[in-house]
Amino acid sequence: MKFRLLTLTTLAAAGIATGTAGSAFAADTVKLGYQLPLTGDTAQYGQDFRKAAEIALTEFNAAGKPFKVEIVFEDSRSDAKEGTNIARKFVDDKEIVGVLGDFTSGVSMAAAQVYKDAGMPQLSQTASHPDYTKISKYQFRNIATQAQEGPYNAKWMAAKGFKNVAVIAEQTDWGQSVVGGFSDAVKANGGTVAFSEFFNRGLKDYRSLISKIERAKPDAIYTGFFYEDGAQFLKQLQQLGIKTPVYSTSAAYSPKLIELAGGAAEGVHLTSNFLPTDPSPNVQHFVEEWKKRSDGAVPGQFPAQAYDAVRIMLAAVERAQPSPTREKVRDALAQTRDFPGVTGKTTFSADREAEKDLVKVEVKGGAFVPVAE
Amino acid sequence: MNAFETVAPTDGLSRRRSWLVPALILLLVFAALPALLAGFDRGYFYQIANLALIFVLLSASMHLVTGVAGLLHLGHAAFYGVGAYTAALLTSKLGLGFTVTLPLSGLVAALVAFLVALPTMRLVSIYFAVATLAIGQMLYLVMLNWVDFTKGPNGIIVSKGFELFGVSLSGRLAAYYTVAAVVTLSVVAIGRLSHSYYGNALRSIREDDQCADAMGVSTVRLKMEAFTLSAFFAGVAGSLWAHMTGYISPGDFKFSESILILAMVVVGGLGSLPGAVIGALLLILLPEGLRALGDFRNIMVGLVMFLSILLLPKGLLGEVSALRLVRRQLGAAWRNTGPGTGKGEGIGWR
Repeated sequence: MKFRLLTLTTLAAAGIATGTAGSAFAADTVKLGYQLPLTGDTAQYGQDFRKAAEIALTEFNAAGKPFKVEIVFEDSRSDAKEGTNIARKFVDDKEIVGVLGDFTSGVSMAAAQVYKDAGMPQLSQTASHPDYTKISKYQFRNIATQAQEGPYNAKWMAAKGFKNVAVIAEQTDWGQSVVGGFSDAVKANGGTVAFSEFFNRGLKDYRSLISKIERAKPDAIYTGFFYEDGAQFLKQLQQLGIKTPVYSTSAAYSPKLIELAGGAAEGVHLTSNFLPTDPSPNVQHFVEEWKKRSDGAVPGQFPAQAYDAVRIMLAAVERAQPSPTREKVRDALAQTRDFPGVTGKTTFSADREAEKDLVKVEVKGGAFVPVAE
Repeated sequence: MNAFETVAPTDGLSRRRSWLVPALILLLVFAALPALLAGFDRGYFYQIANLALIFVLLSASMHLVTGVAGLLHLGHAAFYGVGAYTAALLTSKLGLGFTVTLPLSGLVAALVAFLVALPTMRLVSIYFAVATLAIGQMLYLVMLNWVDFTKGPNGIIVSKGFELFGVSLSGRLAAYYTVAAVVTLSVVAIGRLSHSYYGNALRSIREDDQCADAMGVSTVRLKMEAFTLSAFFAGVAGSLWAHMTGYISPGDFKFSESILILAMVVVGGLGSLPGAVIGALLLILLPEGLRALGDFRNIMVGLVMFLSILLLPKGLLGEVSALRLVRRQLGAAWRNTGPGTGKGEGIGWR
């Protein structure tokens, strides 16, 4: 009986695997792949990306183009094993001409090893690892790197008169690049880094870290965290009665930061390239569509990046018409110039990095408010 | 229970089956499956076959410690990681190829396991489990935080695929045969170890370590050997993974991977090598096969695991019940240890 149960499960699994493999497609439909974490520890991000992609795709297909686009979503659980499996699966599907994702740099980099050999263009909305785009000419990203954001923030803080700063960041490849990009710029501007340390993602108690920071007596604290960790940190900072100004990166730019931290988020300065309050029609259109699908919630930085990434990919597919191939889509992506997205204009540099304009933002009265200085 | 029967098959049927089954498996792994893979010629199927084989090796290596010797091991993925990092660092820093990194990965993982085992192997039951948990976390944090040496969370790109003395084996079929050969040899070695008098000595630790000790079995030494050997094979698996994916980062070796490997051993059946192999195949192939279910696939995988524990407490082919093992391991911590009771004094150590 044991054996029969096992055989049945295996057969069922095999049946499903082959069943999804070969479905015929109309010639005027172009297929794209999107690998992202729809379950697991980082599912909240992947679910947002799928929602953003669906908004972009629905608009594109409703625009009366001579061809339709379909996106195949696959769940990677932010696990490199699954990420590479999906990459092989996408590469096998001859109709897929371009891939979006993954969410974390680790999985994006592992999958990129497959896409590199297969010549499949890959555009990640969030992979921030310094070496990601160096893997091959097929890797693109739609996120401002810390090599860009760090110096921008360092200059901003120096202009505010903060010469002696503390830097903390999560212990990930991205956190490493936050500290690296920022600290170098601070030193180049003649400032000093009084303290720098990494913490593990999901840390619950920041009190010992905060007291270490305070012992170094910095003028301001620069932080590399996402909104979950950020909210914890800010709340505990407030509980300890510390008034040192806090600066952060665009990664913390999410309405959930204010939602979770409440009053503790007040006065935090950060950069962003997406403002849901921006009156320009394309931003308002995206915000409206997002609200419709999320019970009135306002989108944050990452969904906006995903929305733009999908639209940049769709525009590349359109330029690669007629009969787009992986190589033609890659070349079209590389030619992206001043793409008018909700995260500002995007141009891919020669090394396939997104060059973006940054906006300065402060939390005032429970909302993100753009500031001039 | 049936530990001794497996060593000395007596009747004619078992003797005939003793070569028939391995021959069929070899035929499947080295002829039927590659023919099937080549027929489909899909990179996806090759990828899953290779991944499943690597986890077969990880599961089989944990079987030696947890299944046969009955020691709850919660940090196995760390030794897998040590092997992978050894291969990646040797390749990226010294330019060495797979032929050299494969054995070295195993040896370095075994050496690390030996060193951390020195102070911990006298621990028993739940205390041992907690110690392995700590070892796993420590090694993971070293990979994550020793940025100068391991490149920390940035991970390492492994630029070389499989090769044998300079001959490239990175083609699809060649890579499959490489992984299959290494895994098969390792599993045979583990099989020989666990189905021998040596394996029975390990089983005696699992069944009653105090009794085994009284019979003259050197339990501490055996535990150390089993732990180190299992780390060796985990390290070999790590080398395979590093050269196969071409990029590794600490996230591949965190606690959840240890639990995944433990789940494979438990679902397959504690103490049974075929069980460990089937458990690994099940938990790698099932989530991939169920992709069509979308967001619900993990629930299905969880359901299969839950039902298998509920309905088959010994796993698919196990010798001992996982629940019994856990109950005994946990129970030891609450055993009456008061002075004068005459039993279990200083139970954390032996």
